[in-house]
Amino acid sequence: MSSNDRRYVEIANLTKAYPNPFGRDIEVVKDFNMILHKGEIVSVIGHSGCGKSTVLTMVAGLNPISSGSLAVEGREVSGPGPDRAVVFQSPCLLPWMTTLENVMLGVKQVYPHGSKKERKQICEYYLNLVGLGDSMKKYPGEMSGGMQQRVGVARAIALKPQMLLLDEPFGRLDSLTRMDLQDVILDILDREKITTMVITHDVDEAIYMADRICMMTNGPEASVGQILEVPFSRPRVRSDVLDHPNYYDFRFALISFLEKQEHSKEAHDQMIEEKLRQPEPPALVEAKVVADSLPASGASF
Amino acid sequence: MSDQTPIEKIKYGLLKTIDVSGFKVFDPVVRLFFGEEPRKQLGDISRYMIAPIIFVCCCMLFWNFIAPRHKTKSGEVPTPKQVWNALVTNDTLDERENEKESDFQLSDEQREDTIATVTALVAEREKKSEELKAELAEIEAQCKKEQGEALEPLNQALAQLKAENKKLRESRAAESAKISKAIAAKEADPEKLLEYLRNDSEMTLAEKDSEKELKDKIKKIRDEEPKRLKAAQLASSQVANEVQHLKKRLDYLSTGNRSQKVAQAEESATKALGSLSSADSPAAILAAAKSVVKSEQRASKISEQEYPRAATIWFQVWRSLFTVFVGFVLAAAIAIPVGIMCGLNRIAMACLTPIISVFKPVSPVVWLLIFQIIVGAFFPNPDTHPLFVFLNGLPWIGALNVNPALIFSACTVAMCAVWPALVNTALGVSSVEKDHLNVAKVLRLGLWSRLTKIIIPSSLPLVFAGLRISLGVGWMVLIAAEALSSSDGLGKFVWDEYQNGSSHSFANILLACFVIGIIGFFLDRFMIVLQRSVSFDDGAATV
Repeated sequence: MSSNDRRYVEIANLTKAYPNPFGRDIEVVKDFNMILHKGEIVSVIGHSGCGKSTVLTMVAGLNPISSGSLAVEGREVSGPGPDRAVVFQSPCLLPWMTTLENVMLGVKQVYPHGSKKERKQICEYYLNLVGLGDSMKKYPGEMSGGMQQRVGVARAIALKPQMLLLDEPFGRLDSLTRMDLQDVILDILDREKITTMVITHDVDEAIYMADRICMMTNGPEASVGQILEVPFSRPRVRSDVLDHPNYYDFRFALISFLEKQEHSKEAHDQMIEEKLRQPEPPALVEAKVVADSLPASGASF
Repeated sequence: MSDQTPIEKIKYGLLKTIDVSGFKVFDPVVRLFFGEEPRKQLGDISRYMIAPIIFVCCCMLFWNFIAPRHKTKSGEVPTPKQVWNALVTNDTLDERENEKESDFQLSDEQREDTIATVTALVAEREKKSEELKAELAEIEAQCKKEQGEALEPLNQALAQLKAENKKLRESRAAESAKISKAIAAKEADPEKLLEYLRNDSEMTLAEKDSEKELKDKIKKIRDEEPKRLKAAQLASSQVANEVQHLKKRLDYLSTGNRSQKVAQAEESATKALGSLSSADSPAAILAAAKSVVKSEQRASKISEQEYPRAATIWFQVWRSLFTVFVGFVLAAAIAIPVGIMCGLNRIAMACLTPIISVFKPVSPVVWLLIFQIIVGAFFPNPDTHPLFVFLNGLPWIGALNVNPALIFSACTVAMCAVWPALVNTALGVSSVEKDHLNVAKVLRLGLWSRLTKIIIPSSLPLVFAGLRISLGVGWMVLIAAEALSSSDGLGKFVWDEYQNGSSHSFANILLACFVIGIIGFFLDRFMIVLQRSVSFDDGAATV
């Protein structure tokens, strides 16, 4: 199989421009080039406001492109569809529906000919997969943010998508919940082999989850700065990843890239903070503790 | 949640019910009843229940104090007690109508039994009435005597004063004649006469004033009605009223009774039948046959007759509620679909904005007149129009006597109530969260499921907020519309009382004011409960 055949998403010279009533159009993203292979997990990292989400929404078809080309499975993207499931930063559950009904909403669209019972079984299967087997009758208002995001993931996966687009899915969660959910998603992705694009601004998350990391330059006119291959084997075990001799090299590469991009003072401060965490990163300590206390989370792959 | 004791279950169930129904004021009472932190609950009760009650009582006392001190053309402003009496009187009227109605429909043995009881009651009441009348006459005589005694010296003083004043005037007239004579003889200055006359008119005025003062005093005593006389009059008139009512009942039990009337008509039919068989000339046979048919028709018509109920206040309340319901449903049926359309489509919104902006501020009175003309044209002959024949044939609605006036009052209500609901629905639909719409886009939901699964549920809280405002506006407009259009209802009740101008009218108007207010309050509460049950933010949707 040549590498050409494995291409799933092809993005070439992608540009997004927003009209500016008092001057030239503002090009948020310009000449963005990237190829995603089938079954690959790619994370896109960059400073906030650099246009990561714009790229993702364009791939999802929620946002029309200005110029360039964007093809999924060899076809130009013309609009959204259930073949490209999206998990948004906020869970986006419909608060007047139970967990089950929220997942059912998508399942009904994808399996229009299935019987009611079959559809329900599908919903229950995916809800069990994200560990919500006992919360199917609950309303979103009765659940924590982490649980709501799990429902969001279940709703996306239940569509049997060819591609999964994750838009900072853990952005609003605390670090413990975040690691839990990262493992849940990785577990599912290892089983289903779905091509995935993860937007994040967390360096550790990017390394842990992705096969390749796409680093974006700062906007406007953001494009791909560097691409980093992450050669860790799958399924991934958090403690192994953290103990890997190259882990800190990757981390350093990412941070130094991001630092270079940084000009404004505010984000500069953030960088210093990041540096201070370097010798003994607290998130890492946390991660280790969790990995120790929950051996099953790693061993279950 | 599952480890609650049964008592706790009852307690929290009750608290939830109170919360949902919008009577959160009673929350501390329930908690106190179950012994939860009595100190805190007592504090809450005194703050949020007792203090408002005391304030309302103060207001009532102030009203009671100030009302009798303001005299108007239609008598004193009624006190709270008089308004309460008006309520009791109106309720009695309603009860009496019920009695008469059942009397009208009674037949056979039941009718005879009732006649017996009512006759006995009449005898008893009449006796009482006589007694009270005698008592009243006695008191009247006594009061008159007392009044006469009080007036006697005053009258004398007045006569005396009048005589004195007359004498004075005459003497002054003589004096002025004398002066003018002197002037004619050139013995005096004309200025003197003028001076004298000016003086004279001033004195005359002063004398008249003193007379008037005395007259006013006399008039006041004459007009004054002693309290015991008033009480006696009231008691006597009440019993007399009751006697009259009982006699009317007897009337409805005997000659005015439906079964009796039917029997009579049937009897005349059989008689006519008899004369038909004995008739010999063709003309007589035709006449007799005609009279048989006529009598039969009359009998069947009477048997369908209903008691002609007078409009009591409770009837007016039900009719007003029905009218506002019709108007509100009409408004909602227009506002919700149009609002959804406006919220979804910016062109539709742009098209409707000028119409909404122009018609929203138009007064309900104008709408009423417009609808009166338009609706009137549809029903040139309302008694036989199939719509009214159908509606008045229905079991509950028929009793409300649906007529064109009700229809155009309801239309007026709808016209004024449609705007808040429409605007809020459009706002609710257009402000659906973008994330939720993105979900719909990713799932490629069709228009119908996008509407039913996402847009409508998410805009429901705002829709119901709009409907709540609409119902409030509708209820307010309805009263004015009824007053103006003489469509039976609370508005007409108020208007009739105003036109009527009897001694009870003012109290009845104030009573209607409270009835309207209390009903409006409950309508609003009802809408709040509905609104809360559809809003999903506070978890009420899980109830």
